[in-house]
Amino acid sequence: MAGEAVWVESRYGDGVWSIGPAGRWTLESAGPAAEALKALRPERSGGPVRLDLGRLDALDTVGAYLLARLADRLAAEGHAVAVEGVRPEHAALFDAVREAGQAPAQPHGAAHHPIIDMVVRTGRTTIEAVREAGNLISFLGLVTITFARLLLKPSRLRLTSVMFHIEQTGLNALPILGLLSFLIGVVLAFQGADQLKRFGAELYVVNLLGISVLREIGVLMTAIIVAGRSGSAFTAQIGTMKVNQEVDAIGTMGLDPIELLVVPRALALMVTLPLLVFYADVMGLFGGAVMSYATLDITFGQFIRQLHTAVGINTVLAGLIKAPVFALVIAIVGCYEGMKVSGSAESVGTLTTKAVVEGIFLVIVIDAVFSVLFSMLGV
Amino acid sequence: MADAIPLSPALPSTTRPVLQPVIRVRGLVTRFGPQTVHDGLDLDVRAGEVLGVVGGSGTGKSVLLKEIIGLIRPAAGTIELLGHDTADLSQRERTALQARTGVLFQNGALFSSMTVAENVMLPLKEHTDLPPPLIAEIARVKIAMAGLPPDAGAKHPSQLSGGMVKRAGLARALALDPAILFLDEPTAGLDPIGAAAFDSLIRGLQRSLGLTVFMVTHDLDSLTTICDRIAVLIDRKIRVGTLEEHLADPHPWIHDYFHGPRGRAARHAED
Repeated sequence: MAGEAVWVESRYGDGVWSIGPAGRWTLESAGPAAEALKALRPERSGGPVRLDLGRLDALDTVGAYLLARLADRLAAEGHAVAVEGVRPEHAALFDAVREAGQAPAQPHGAAHHPIIDMVVRTGRTTIEAVREAGNLISFLGLVTITFARLLLKPSRLRLTSVMFHIEQTGLNALPILGLLSFLIGVVLAFQGADQLKRFGAELYVVNLLGISVLREIGVLMTAIIVAGRSGSAFTAQIGTMKVNQEVDAIGTMGLDPIELLVVPRALALMVTLPLLVFYADVMGLFGGAVMSYATLDITFGQFIRQLHTAVGINTVLAGLIKAPVFALVIAIVGCYEGMKVSGSAESVGTLTTKAVVEGIFLVIVIDAVFSVLFSMLGV
Repeated sequence: MADAIPLSPALPSTTRPVLQPVIRVRGLVTRFGPQTVHDGLDLDVRAGEVLGVVGGSGTGKSVLLKEIIGLIRPAAGTIELLGHDTADLSQRERTALQARTGVLFQNGALFSSMTVAENVMLPLKEHTDLPPPLIAEIARVKIAMAGLPPDAGAKHPSQLSGGMVKRAGLARALALDPAILFLDEPTAGLDPIGAAAFDSLIRGLQRSLGLTVFMVTHDLDSLTTICDRIAVLIDRKIRVGTLEEHLADPHPWIHDYFHGPRGRAARHAED
């Protein structure tokens, strides 16, 4: 059907090349129409051309564009093109499309070499990453200054907001965090017991659990869960406010968005995270104790006595002291990405993902720094 | 596309004259819970006319538009588009019919993850099997016809101003050379100069493409300058007429609407 819908008659007479497209020149038949026009080749180059549009049954933008393109192509090849016989109902369309078709094509950049492209992209990404780090540090500075100003005038601190975020980030995280920590304790005890049994040193599973949970796993797990739960929430909340221009509105009312939005969140998270870490430590050890009792017949009493000899208060503190630092990092990254949202709702999604990835990345990097520091200090 | 169901062509052609109204609504009833929005509404939209739809807030202007394009199902009544009853169409027929209608949503509804050119190319890619270079060229022509500069095609919607977003949305709505163009408040949020330019763009495209335009609007200037007829949604029904007929209508709401200070100003500007 489509093959018969359009055709082009081409003949010579009196030295004039007559081209007569006919049929339905619409979107449906654009494929065959384009083919038919491509096949048109002049017998003599440079002669006059008569493009007769009188036999078109139907014409739409696409058909008109194809014919206008043909006329322009022939004109560029040196033919004198005369468009004739346009039906009155097609005239306006043909003229409008011909004019629009002559708009210059989108400027394409110069041809790229893939390797050069890659180098350029690498460079651009590096510069972007460095700039990002700088911006993040200045944002930290901004928040610190705002916080210091609040310390001088504590009445300006939004206590309700802080409490709300403590509830959101802390209380509401307890079930998921408790369950995950308990399971991690179970897994660690099980794996440790399996290895230590070979040496007859089953009791040392308590030492293994105590040190690893209290120093590293408790705090790291908590930070990662909170980065995923609350860091992303901060970005989404502030980002949505940014899209709705609420942040701009705060600014015009003479209020400080950092003071109003960022400081309460950062403060709340810094209060919450150490508490969550302690809770995760307890749940992790409890999971380990349950598993030890089940597989190694270590009673809870034995477990606690062994834990006493295995870990001192320093081990607990070495874990807990990291918590406020991680909290600050997660909150700052979350709020910073939220503040970066601009224009579309799409950027809220992109930046939320980025906040979580960056938050977890920085938490692990800082944890490594802490490890080096502790070993140098001999803690 | 070759065996698509035959629908009325984009232009009234000599071989298939369009005799019936392109949109025909009969006995339309719309209810949201206990609230009845439309009650036995009848409407005919003639081929090649620009119909402006007005009405107070909550009278169901946008709802009517959504029902005609099939986004909302009415409680009762029939809606015929280009002679096809929209209620009993197969999926294939519905798709073919949707390709014959273009919709410009109030805020453009451009896909924010794509450039303007990709937005315009999307319906062409989905509904035709044309070679990609030709699709790109057609998109370029549509973007130019919508009055956008050539470099707009490579931009993302977030980089465009409000007026340009509307033009880009119009280019996408026109991508498949629809027979009917639906516009939901096309000039809302534009400055008066931009709104006037958009009006004349719609009028120009309507004339050159032979479009039928169904336009929900509150812009009295649009009503007086580009609409052939005006449909007023009132008392859960619709009253269609020319501007002069509405001016003579004694109904209090219609009288206030067209004889209020804004209505007078728009008419004087027209004179």
